[in-house]
Amino acid sequence: MNAIALIDGNNFYASCEQSINPSLRNKPLVILSNNDGCIIARSAEARILKIRMGEPYFKIKERLNKLGVIVLSSNYSLYGDMSKRLMNLLKKNCEKIEIYSIDEAFISIHRPHNKDLSPWARKLRTLIYQNLGLTITIGIAENKLRAKLANKLAKRINYSAGIFDLGITNNKNSYLKKINVDNIWGIGTQTSRWLRSKGIKNAKELKDMNQHELKKKLGVVGQRIQLELKGYQCLPIEEKRNQKKEIRVSRSFSQPITKLEELKHALAIYAIRASEKMRAQNLQASAITIFTRTSHYSKFNYQKSAYKKLIEATNDTNIILKIVIELSKEIYHPEYKLTKAGVLMQELSEFTYFQKSILNYSSKNKSDKERKLIQTIDSLNNKFNNEVITWGIAKKNQSWGMNRKLLSGTSITDIEKIPTIII
Amino acid sequence: MKKTGLPLLSFSVSAGFPSPADDYTEENIDLNEYLIQNPFSTFFIRVKGDSMINSGIQNQDLIVVDKSIIAKPGDIVIAIIDERFTVKRLEKKDDTFYLKAENHNYPDLHLKNYSNMQIWGVVIYSIHNCR
Repeated sequence: MNAIALIDGNNFYASCEQSINPSLRNKPLVILSNNDGCIIARSAEARILKIRMGEPYFKIKERLNKLGVIVLSSNYSLYGDMSKRLMNLLKKNCEKIEIYSIDEAFISIHRPHNKDLSPWARKLRTLIYQNLGLTITIGIAENKLRAKLANKLAKRINYSAGIFDLGITNNKNSYLKKINVDNIWGIGTQTSRWLRSKGIKNAKELKDMNQHELKKKLGVVGQRIQLELKGYQCLPIEEKRNQKKEIRVSRSFSQPITKLEELKHALAIYAIRASEKMRAQNLQASAITIFTRTSHYSKFNYQKSAYKKLIEATNDTNIILKIVIELSKEIYHPEYKLTKAGVLMQELSEFTYFQKSILNYSSKNKSDKERKLIQTIDSLNNKFNNEVITWGIAKKNQSWGMNRKLLSGTSITDIEKIPTIII
Repeated sequence: MKKTGLPLLSFSVSAGFPSPADDYTEENIDLNEYLIQNPFSTFFIRVKGDSMINSGIQNQDLIVVDKSIIAKPGDIVIAIIDERFTVKRLEKKDDTFYLKAENHNYPDLHLKNYSNMQIWGVVIYSIHNCR
């Protein structure tokens, strides 16, 4: 028999910071979103102080100060690298893995003769702590949905041990009763409201609900949720992530912008980044959308997007830049203070170089050269940690760039910024 | 962690004679491969100070730390003492562990004097700039 485990990192961003900086350990610590907007992660100690997720920083700055909470800007290169390490270590210790988010993965493991998998989980947990200084929670069950619930139960029932094997418990119903419907994976706000109106409050009641009524309202998705709650395996472990539908690069500006030049500049940087991302995943786009908008809080609301379908799929920065800059005129409006913009690479497909050269043989030589140039730029940027070489338009002074005033500046991927210790 | 990738400039030569050494080229020496056995648990750290001078670890050296190794007496380790990292040699005497500096100007660090002492990782290499 196979079992599924859902593994996630506890307070992941805060734990990454604490792992490489012991002076942050055992202290209340919060991490801010891009532009130091709001709180997106808290250490266990900050949770105890009842600091809430999503709280805007400017609103609680004083309170944090009074409580002695340490505040850091988000350091995504650190979290990304730690995540990669975590996932690779998990991969070495299981049969199949589906990376679900930066700090979450489903894994499939063998369960011989209904054996309790807690000892296995304890070992894995120790190994991850030893190797990375990160604490993980492991929920084990028969399928993905129940593994998610088991993970929740592990945090609730036995936080310090961080392990719960729902698959071998006898009184599953009593555990399912502990999970509210709105905490079930795949149940959104609207659905949970409907379920509650039908008197369905927890996972056990949803499991035993009339299946026809459920299917009528929620279709196959609802049916699948119910079957997984009953213990059947409906959702497979997807080792190869379903190909991304689109690649999006968007940012909020630290200061609103009003000039077309500034908008073009921002979009150009995002376009360069998005093309890089496509090449890194061996993808190409057949359509491009760009957008911009004013702040949600502004009285004068404006948002606009522009779309272009490409004749030939591409991931070539030169081509994409030209299109994005062309399109930017369509979404610009001089009377509004723009606070966000972004580019979306759409209708993605696997990059095939061949196809292109057959279609358009005469330009093969030229595109060959261009491809090599871009490959060289990518590998240089990769080697020296981003943007040693870029397109001219991206290199102007920016007043609207991202605010990360409280960045610790420590990195484990950049030799110039690795931790220094006094011995 | 980044691995050194393909040679940066791999343009092919379109004219002239092929090099007689072509069939004998091997891959470049990869220092990552040489220095790192467990890439997912290896970290680089810069050290400042001379407390480990006799072990060969000098001021401004780059040390390679493998967190997956369980420290044994005799290993040079990164330890956390009073919420700070330090680098010392782990020693054991009469069943008690202590940390020893490799410089007689620095005292040994005994566990009993600190509320919390923890091993973070084992130092496997020290890289020294000779110029």
